[in-house]
Parts: sequence; structure tokens; C-alpha cells
Amino acid sequence: MSGPTSEYVTLVSRDGFEFIIPRNVACVSGTIRRMLDPSSKFSEGLTGRCVLDEFPGMVLEKVCEYLCYNDKHKNDINVPDMDIPPELCLELLMAADYLDV
Amino acid sequence: MDNEIPLPPPRRIRHRSPAKSTNPSTAVSSFYRAGRLSRFDDRSSQPSSDPALFSSDDIPASGLENYHATVSGAGRKRRYRGTWWGEQVADPKRKRAEFREKRNFDSGVWMGSDEPGSESLLTSEDGSNWGEDLRKTVLDPRPTGLAAPPSMDSGSVLLNPAAAFQRTEESEAQRFARVVVGQCLEKGQEHIDLGGFQLGSLPPGLLQPLKHLTKLPSFTEPPATENAFTSLQPFLRIYLPNNSLSALPNDVFELNNLRVLSLRSNKFTEIPPAIGRLTDLEVLNLSVNRLTYLPWELLKLIQQGKLNHVISRPNPFHPIEEAQIETWHCKPEPDSEPEEEPEPEPQPTTNSTLPKMQLPLRIHLQLTPPPSLQLGPDTEPNPVWAPILVATGPTNTMDMDGKPVQPTPYNRPSETTSKISNAPSLRELALRAVSKLPYLDQTTDQELADFPPLIVPLLQRAREVRLAGGQTCSVCGREYVLPRTEWMEWWDISPHESGVQLRRCNGMLLRPLPFRRFGCSLSCVPSV
Repeated sequence: MSGPTSEYVTLVSRDGFEFIIPRNVACVSGTIRRMLDPSSKFSEGLTGRCVLDEFPGMVLEKVCEYLCYNDKHKNDINVPDMDIPPELCLELLMAADYLDV
Repeated sequence: MDNEIPLPPPRRIRHRSPAKSTNPSTAVSSFYRAGRLSRFDDRSSQPSSDPALFSSDDIPASGLENYHATVSGAGRKRRYRGTWWGEQVADPKRKRAEFREKRNFDSGVWMGSDEPGSESLLTSEDGSNWGEDLRKTVLDPRPTGLAAPPSMDSGSVLLNPAAAFQRTEESEAQRFARVVVGQCLEKGQEHIDLGGFQLGSLPPGLLQPLKHLTKLPSFTEPPATENAFTSLQPFLRIYLPNNSLSALPNDVFELNNLRVLSLRSNKFTEIPPAIGRLTDLEVLNLSVNRLTYLPWELLKLIQQGKLNHVISRPNPFHPIEEAQIETWHCKPEPDSEPEEEPEPEPQPTTNSTLPKMQLPLRIHLQLTPPPSLQLGPDTEPNPVWAPILVATGPTNTMDMDGKPVQPTPYNRPSETTSKISNAPSLRELALRAVSKLPYLDQTTDQELADFPPLIVPLLQRAREVRLAGGQTCSVCGREYVLPRTEWMEWWDISPHESGVQLRRCNGMLLRPLPFRRFGCSLSCVPSV
């Protein structure tokens, strides 16, 4: 489940929630892609486990949902909207800025 | 129909000699009252019976200080004030008026209803604005002729422009504009002329009440005829020429019934895409501005709306000869001869109308079927009338912050192309959610400054979009906040450029205009 070549990576929130998503999905985010880049020799790249201390689990869950949504509709022409709860939108805006998505 | 009971004959209106008409303050206040009453008394809701009369009301000087004075006309009552079907009473004096005059003398009794603010309780939602407008309208001693240019005001504005701009409140010209708008509202005039006022900007809320403008029914002849019943829906026309406007307030775009808009001779550098919301617009004058392109939404108004007259020249438009063109939809000819079309009228006339177009690039209309008006409008856009797409410029993409993508050493083209995705960015999705929040449009910059500085520009952008009434993607029709793609299209709209609709003929010289178009995602690009 972990390691530099594994198909899945683990994203960990501040309050300890872990989300295991495919590596290519996680790499939609530029920040995570650079973290996981094996050539950079970051510990995340070696273990395949990214601890994102900035986000609570609720936000990270939505972020993971978005990453999957983005990957799913990568090549679609008519992309449906993703539902964003209004109480999370400002935190997601910050998260989007941080993760470069 | 013949045995119908005829309307009662108009009775003669008694004109009492007003006792105090020489007093100028009374004249002003009676004018004020007349304005108020004619505004607030909706004739249709007026009771058919006469208003109640009190004996003391009729005595001209029944104030306290005239208590012992002998009054000549005491005891005489007016019996009649006008016909029940709304004929105007020539004498503006009313019972209420007398009461108001008395109130000018201090009786020593204060009542709660004497507050000026209590008047606004009478009106509906924008009552405070109404009262304000009307007071300015009526108390302004200047002549009430419509659109008399404020020569005095503009002079004073020109003399000390710094003082005029430093004041946080409105300038004289803006106040005068409010007066004019108030008059139009009061009289039900559908023609609002604010030309030549030296307006630097339109104050917010100036044009908003025009949304509820209703024409007043006209009563010229006492016996009502068939054509006395006309639509009260206004044919709203707003003229703002010869000002120095560079931006339109958003309330202009909420006037759904706006038919004619003239922005001639101003300082606009661009027209916001929100103009696409004026679906009733028929005539638009944009000449003598600083426009380099037009909003693409105008084309939609031409194609689907009622817009049939766009005056857009002269303006410093981006010339198609100097622009980068990605795709030509009509073949340009480097000044070739029209060989296959033996049209009798083509070249000389177009040249004479366009003496300036001695440019290497000439685009002629080439219709494969001969142009005919029988071409059904339902089959496809008629090339004789409809706008014709001439060329499409290159597409510029924006990054997720809405800034143009710059080729820097850090984002190599290979990297950017590899991560291109058609899905909207999370920033965009979150901003769409933000823009649906209530109270976003009421937040101030100070409140926004409390947010982390990274997202403040994004939030400001979302607020702007919200205030402008939302943006729709020109390709997929979805609401968006940050555009991701942007390109120019050159369209020929020459049949709509002159007031008379000239239909195109084969071999005619096309005069394309640049239209700027936005897409909401990287998949919203020009369709080839």
C-alpha cells in the first residue's frame, strides 16, 4: 500500500483521517505531485504518505472528491458541476490555492 | 351601444382666487404638494366620491394668528373638484394643501407624524429614494424643462474639479441627473435624456427606479375614445451622450425593458458582457468611445434578441489586418477581382462608401446559393441578414487564478499541456459556491481584508461578478466566475449597422468587427 512505486497514495488530514486514492488522481494537484516526485527525495515520495496538516478531515474529504471528479471528467466535453456545500467553500478556496488545483 | 348612458358632461371647475398666491414660499410648497399628490395619488385607486370637506379647510387664512380676522370667503364650500374619470383639476389647491400651509406656522404642538421620514411609509419598497428624488425635484428652483443642460453647474464643476471630486457626496451634475430622472418618473416619461452633463460616473441607484416606470394615461378629450386606451408599458429610452463615463453601473443591466441606449461620445474602453441581459434592447449607440472590441454577447442580442441597430463606429477597434488570425471562415482575397460574380453593383459603390479601406485585405461575401429572401429563417441563419463569422483569433488560456498564462521557465509547455483537464478547477468550483452565498454583494473591502490575502482577489472577483448579475460561458452557457479561455472573433454585422436594414448582396465587402469571447473551461474553445 505504500512506497515510491505503489499505485495508491495516502493523504492524511490534521485530525488523523486518512484517504487512500490512486496516485494519478492525487497528482492532479501540483503540490502533491511535487511532494510525491521520487526524484525530489522528499519523505512523502519515499513513503507514499502525505500528511496535510493544514486541512481538517472534512475539507480533505471534499478535496479528494474533487480530485476524483477532476480525473473522471478529464476528457469530457460537458462536465457536470460538483456540489460544494456553502459552509466549506472558503476553506476549499484556501485548499485549492495551496494544492494548486 | 346607442342606448348606453352617456358619460356625464365635464363640469366647470371653479377657480377660486387664491388668497396667498403671491407668496413665493407658498408657491414652492404648493408645487411640492402638487408633485407629491400627483405622484402618490394613483388615479385608478382614487375613490369616485369627492374627498371629505371641512368648513375650516376652505378659509384661506384660518391660522391661529388670524383667529379674530374676518374672513370674506368663510362658509363657502367647494362642491366639485373634477370628474370622476380623472379629468385634471386645473387648480392645484386641495384640502390637504391648506392643512400643509397652516403647518408652516408653529402651533406649539408636535406630533409624531410631523417627522419627514414618516412620509416614506406611504410608498412601497424604495420609498426613501422616492421621497428624496421628489424633494430634490421640487425644491430645485431651476427651470423644469427636460434635459436643459446644467450650464451653471458644469461651469462650476469645471472651475473646481478637484473640489467636486474630493467630495464624497454627489457632484452637482449627478444631483441634476437625479432631478431629471425623478421628473421622468413622476411624469411617466419614457425618454430619459442625460446628455452633456459632464457626468464622470453614474451614481449607484440613479437608474434603478426606472425599472418601475409606468406611463401615465393621457386624458386630452373628456369623452374617452378607443385610442385613449394605450399600453402603459414604457418604451424606455436612455440617452447618455457627451458625458465622460467609463463604466456603467450594474443597475443599468437590470432594466429589462430598456429599448434604446445611447452611450455616444463617452470614454468607455470596453462594454461589459452583462449587456447581454438587456434582451429588449433595439438600438444601441456606442460611437465615439475608446472601444477596441465589443462584447460577444451583443451578437446574441442581434441573433436572438431584438437588437437591430448597432452604431459602433467610429471607435479605435482592433483592425483585422494587424490581428493574429487562427482560422478564416471567409476567404480573404488580396485585392483580387471578383471574377465569377457578374454583379452589376458591387465594387464602386462599396468603395465609395468606404474610402478608407484601401487595405490589402478585402473580404467579399461569397454565397454559394444566390441570395434570396425566400431563404427560410428556420432552416439556418439567413446570410443576407444574419451576422457572418469572418475570422477567429488565437485562443488565450488563463490559469486557475484567472491570469493569462505566461510562458515562464517554470511552466514549460509540455507540463502545462500534460495537465490540461476539461474539468473546472477547484478554485472555480469553490468560487461558484461563494458567489451563491447570500450577503456576498454587501460585503465591503474592509470585511474582505480579514480573509487570508491569497483569496482576497478571488473573492473580490466573485463579488464583482455577482454584482454584475453573473456571467455565462459563451460556449456551454454555464455560469462561471473566472474565465479560462478568451479569444477574438471577427463578425460582420453590416446589415444591422445602419438604421435602414440593408441586405447583403453577393460580392459585397465585409466590414468585420472584433468581438471578445470568454470560455469557462479549457474545453470551451472555438469550435472549428
